[in-house]
Amino acid sequence: MTNAPCQCCPAEGLLEDRERSGRIALVENTDWLDVTASVKGDEDAYERLVRRYEKQITGLLWRFTRDPVQCEELVQQVFVEAYFSLKTYRGDAPLLHWLRRIASRTGYRFWREKAKEPQEMPLPDFEIMEQIEAEEEERIDPSEAAAVLHALLARLAAPDRLVLTLLYFERCGTQEIAEQMGWTRAKVKTQALRARRKMKEIAEREHLLERLGWTL
Amino acid sequence: MDTLEGLAKLARRARGEQTPVFDVAEMVRLRIRSESRPSVTLIPLGLFGGLSAAAASIILFLAVQFWQYMNSPIMELVAPLPEIRLW
Repeated sequence: MTNAPCQCCPAEGLLEDRERSGRIALVENTDWLDVTASVKGDEDAYERLVRRYEKQITGLLWRFTRDPVQCEELVQQVFVEAYFSLKTYRGDAPLLHWLRRIASRTGYRFWREKAKEPQEMPLPDFEIMEQIEAEEEERIDPSEAAAVLHALLARLAAPDRLVLTLLYFERCGTQEIAEQMGWTRAKVKTQALRARRKMKEIAEREHLLERLGWTL
Repeated sequence: MDTLEGLAKLARRARGEQTPVFDVAEMVRLRIRSESRPSVTLIPLGLFGGLSAAAASIILFLAVQFWQYMNSPIMELVAPLPEIRLW
């Protein structure tokens, strides 16, 4: 069985034989070499993995909290958890997918813990965007757009919020969300349908389109 | 424009956001080291278990010696019984 190098884990031409599920596997994957070295206790190898993927994982966890301190803490949690679970990584999927799964679950857990202390997040100030014409979508500051969307999503329950966050921000498909969260695809679809309906209600209650100047 | 369409449009822009960059490698290394150490609470627990086992062995040894010292262990236990007055 040969593992073709994926786009997110560039191969560097090194080959390593390993036994997996009773078969000899040929792996040409820098990640795999670092993973095996890390499992054996090579801290430098794990540091290389962390540095390789911390940007992507930060990007994902930024969707879960826009507080830099909390976000950094979550990123650390993900890599610490990944380190102790590294033995369970079988190399069947790219390492980044595996890390994203841990990150999504960590972020979801963070939301559920936060939900115990309910707080209403006010929508950010729309003044800057109110001046923008409908056809000038490109001129909207992406950070402002993300902050508005984040505040809207924060009004949903954790499962609804998760599904829409991954759909809207990360452009994940329902299958991908199901795999990341260990849910069934049917559950994700139902959740997404319900979440969209709730999100629409919230956006209409907040007069989102009027405030964005997108009613035309 | 439909509300959901507006939200999708907003999301398209939001995806272009520059996310912060953190250098967590060193902190991760430190946390892994601190969490890798065997838990301190297990050491006194093991010590307590060891001492208990040693004490139990001594008591067992003495009990066996005492049992063997008695001429008729069962009779020694039963003999005093008839002398007990019930009233």
